[in-house]
Formats: sequence, C-alpha cells, structure tokens
Amino acid sequence: MNSPAVTAEGTAPIITFQDASFAYNGTPALEALTFSIMPGEFLGIIGPNGSGKTTLLKALLGLIAPTAGRATIFDCTCHTLRCHHRAKIGYLPQRSQLDPRFPITVFETVLMGRYGALGLFHRPTAADRELAEAALHDVGLPELKDRPLGQLSGGQQQRVLIARALAQQPQVLLLDEPTTGVDAPTQTALLSLIRRLHQQRRLTVLFVTHDINVVSPVVDRLALLNRRLVAIGTPAEVLTKATLAAVYGEAVIVTSQGGGSYVIVADHHHD
Amino acid sequence: MTDLLTYGFMQRALAASVMIGTLCAVVGVFVVLRGLAFVGAGTAHSAFAGVTLGYLVGINPMAMALVFGLGTIWIVQALNERSRTAFDVSVGIFYAASMALAIVFIGLMRTYNSEVYGYLFGSILSVTPSELWTIGLLSAVALTCLALFFKEFHFIAFDQEMAAASGIPATRLFFLLLNLVGLTIVIALKAVGALLVFALLIIPAAAAYQLASRLWTMILWAVGVGLTSTIGGLLLSYAFDLPSGATITLLATALFFLAVLASPKR
Ligand SMILES: Nc1ncnc2c1ncn2[C@@H]1O[C@H](COP(=O)(O)OP(=O)(O)OP(=O)(O)O)[C@@H](O)[C@H]1O
Ligand SMILES: [Mg+2]
Repeated sequence: MNSPAVTAEGTAPIITFQDASFAYNGTPALEALTFSIMPGEFLGIIGPNGSGKTTLLKALLGLIAPTAGRATIFDCTCHTLRCHHRAKIGYLPQRSQLDPRFPITVFETVLMGRYGALGLFHRPTAADRELAEAALHDVGLPELKDRPLGQLSGGQQQRVLIARALAQQPQVLLLDEPTTGVDAPTQTALLSLIRRLHQQRRLTVLFVTHDINVVSPVVDRLALLNRRLVAIGTPAEVLTKATLAAVYGEAVIVTSQGGGSYVIVADHHHD
Repeated sequence: MTDLLTYGFMQRALAASVMIGTLCAVVGVFVVLRGLAFVGAGTAHSAFAGVTLGYLVGINPMAMALVFGLGTIWIVQALNERSRTAFDVSVGIFYAASMALAIVFIGLMRTYNSEVYGYLFGSILSVTPSELWTIGLLSAVALTCLALFFKEFHFIAFDQEMAAASGIPATRLFFLLLNLVGLTIVIALKAVGALLVFALLIIPAAAAYQLASRLWTMILWAVGVGLTSTIGGLLLSYAFDLPSGATITLLATALFFLAVLASPKR
C-alpha cells in the first residue's frame, strides 16, 4: 500500500510521508500517513469534506508542522523548508474569497508568482514578465492582462491563480480543488492544460478534487483520505465499491465504463 | 498669507505636515489593505501612555512613546504566536490597559502639564526643531523600509498564506509591517494627537481605496488626500483658531465622503 508508483529507473521519491500526523490546536486532522510520491507523478487526492486534503497540501508547504512522524519534499523536512524551496512548489489554494476591490491587475497577480524566486530586494526583470505572460497565455487569458482582478468572474480568477502558480516554474504543483466552481468547458481545458504541463515539464502534480470521474482518467494514482490514508493506488485499485463505501457510505455506486470506473456518490452525508 | 511662512513655527508645522501626511498615507494603504486599522488605534494609545510616563519620570517623551508603541506590537505578536489570542483581542486589551496606565501616570503628576494634553489632542504648531529632525529621520527610515519590501508587502496584503507558500518570508515581513505601523504612529503622535493619529493613518488610504484599482494609483491618491488634509487642516486651523488635529481629521473625513461619492467601484 505504501509502495511508490513503479517507475523503471529506481529514482528516489520527491515527496515522502513517514508515519506523519498533523493536528490543529491539538485536534488531529491527519494521522499516521505513510506513502511517497515519485518525481513526475500525477496524484489525485480524494476524500469527503474535512478528510484532510487541504491539510496534506499545507503540510507539504510546511505551513503546519507534524505532531508525529516526518514529511519531506526535495529531501528537506517540510516544516523547515527554506523560501527558495517553496519557490519551487506551485500552490493553488482552495477557492478563497478574494477582496473584489483589492488594487491589483491580472498581470500583477501572475507576476507575484515570480517573487519567491526573485528574492528580496530584486525587481521583476523582462524575463520574469515573459514568464508571467506565457503563464497567462497557457490558461487562455492573455487579453485580460490589464484588467483589475476583482472584475473577473470566479472561474477566470481561478485560472489567473493557476497562471500565478505556473509562473513560478514549479517542480511540484499542488492544486486544491482547481475545477470547483468552473464551467464544464473550462474544467476540461484546465485539466488538459495541467496534463500537458505534467507531461512536458515532468511536473509532479497533486490534484485535490471532489470530481472523482473527471480526474480518474488522467491521474497515475489516486489517494483516498479520511483523516488517514484509506487507500492509494491506480484508479482501478482505489475505485472499488468496498473501498469507497467505507468512506462515503453504502450508497456509493461504481460502474465500469470503457475500461475505467465511474463513481456516483449519493447526496446524503455521513459525517 | 505669504508672510505666514516667515514664522519659524509655521515653517516647521508645514514641514511636519508634509512628512507626516505622506508617511501616514503610504503606510495607511497597507494598513487598510491588510486590515490593520485597529492595530494603529491600539499603538496610538500605548504610545500615549509612554509619553505620560516620559513626562512623569523626565525621559524624552517621544523615545518613551517609541518604546511603548513598538513594545505593544512585540507583545501582541508574542501572544498571537504562543496563546493564539486573536490579534484584535490582544490589541484591544492593550488599548484599554495603556489608556488606564496613562490616566494613572497623569494622576501621579503633581502639576497640570499642558504638553501632555498636546500629545493627546495634537499640537502641530508647537513642533520644535529637534522634534522636526526626529520626524524627518524616522519618516525616512520607515519609507525606505516600505520601498525595499514593496513587492512583498503588496503580496502579503493580497494573501499572506499564498505569499508564505510561494517562498516569501511572510511572517517576518508581516511583523516588520506591524513595526512600521507602530513607528508611523509615534512619528505622527505629537502633531495629530493620540486620539486622532489613527484617523490620519486610515482615512486617506480608505478614500484612495474608493478611487483606485492599482496599487500605485491608490498610493498617489492616498498621498494627495493625506497632504490636502494635513496642509489644508493646518492652514484652516491657523486661520480660524481651531485645534489642528481635529481640523485635519475633519477635513480628511470630508474628503473621504467625497471619494465615496466619486467612487467608480460603486
Ligand atoms: N485552520 C484550521 N484550524 C482548525 N482546524 C482546522 C483548520 N483547517 C482545517 N481544520 C480541521 O482539520 C480537518 C481537515 O480539514 P481540511 O481542510 O484538510 O479538509 P479537506 O479535506 O480539505 O475538506 P474540504 O473538502 O471541505 O476542503 C477538518 O476537521 C477541519 O475542521
Ligand atoms: Mg480542502
């Protein structure tokens, strides 16, 4: 269960959790995680509300320290990460309420992705601006460059924030529900963009989502969380009635469709 | 009106107005964007407690204001880290406690000291040459810090967690920003008064927030409103023999409402 994805050359994992637990003010949020992620892997992370998906990403960024065990990324202990390490991790936070009147343009927002790599006292150069332009182009919004960010729709803002993460030229991309609240065509476009970047740049991607059926055809492996690691493996391994029912309840329906599994989670909640 | 400028006290008051109006406006932009207005109010009161202690024991009141103002910020930060007391709550405790301290210190003074009340209500016309130098020097320090970390402060105001996650030393720089707010309060304390200084910190920036959709334009608007308020308030208070701190605050408030009416963001 904790074996990393099988890659022919025995490279070292880029991310490892060793019996790692995380808590907020003494209340456990994630317990005894043990698994690792290989460079260039595309991992989908699923689980019900409050199951610790966001906590896992924050732990990797070193924003919370483990209460037990160890979490490492790039061979560094996560909670002692230095700024130049963080600059190599692109992070899209779960949809947060942006102040619609905050004085910032779309381009300035994307350019902020360069600040970590630039370091203190350095102003963005022409090369940084080019990277920001390219990232904005990647998410398909070059024409909105000079608009105030607050004037964009929620889905467009989401794409701008993804562009900000891409402008970092990250090695690892942490995406917290990037497709939530985004229309279906944009969802497909975003997903194929992330997949393309993952393939072209050998980017390691951790993709948190509730849309199991949208990501399962794309990911290498899926991790199912519920305050602990319930299962990790290929979509076919994880998306079984028995595994999902333990987390989402008996009302889960799993059907086979053209080689993949299609999951229907019933509406009512078991918390 | 021009012969006004031949008076030394008027020259100093104008110079102080320009420096304080500019500094408060620029720092105020980050205070408004990051939601730190209450921190400004709290430090103003503890700085005033420092002033009263300074007069009581005979130490330079502005130095004591600096110690108390920044001391409050350091303790509030420590409380926030150790006991997870919400910022507003611990600032509120200091707000009240330092006012109580100031009242005790004033009570311990045997004689009536009008200079203490000058610090409470503001007396820009009585700024001394050495105070002017202090204002100038500290303003330069504060504005230099802002310029050095400008892009980081913009990011932190936008989203501190995102800034931290993408490799900005956000916690430390936020603490620096808090210290700059405290420093600004102390610089403006004598001229505008402990009760009103916080108005000068937030009102010009709040007016600018109504008008601008880019950071630079917001700063320019804030400085415009700030300077109009301080210089205009000074001249009005001189012409009509009104208290300067109150006149400056009322003028800034009037400009704020003008900005709300003119706001394209509505
Ligand atoms: N800042 C916080 N302070 C205290 N508790 C928190 C905090 N953030 C999360 N928690 C708790 O930690 C647990 C895991 O939260 P987390 O945000 O990781 O869940 P999630 O899987 O991302 O949920 P969702 O699908 O709703 O985004 C929850 O029980 C939550 O209440
Ligand atoms: Mg979450």
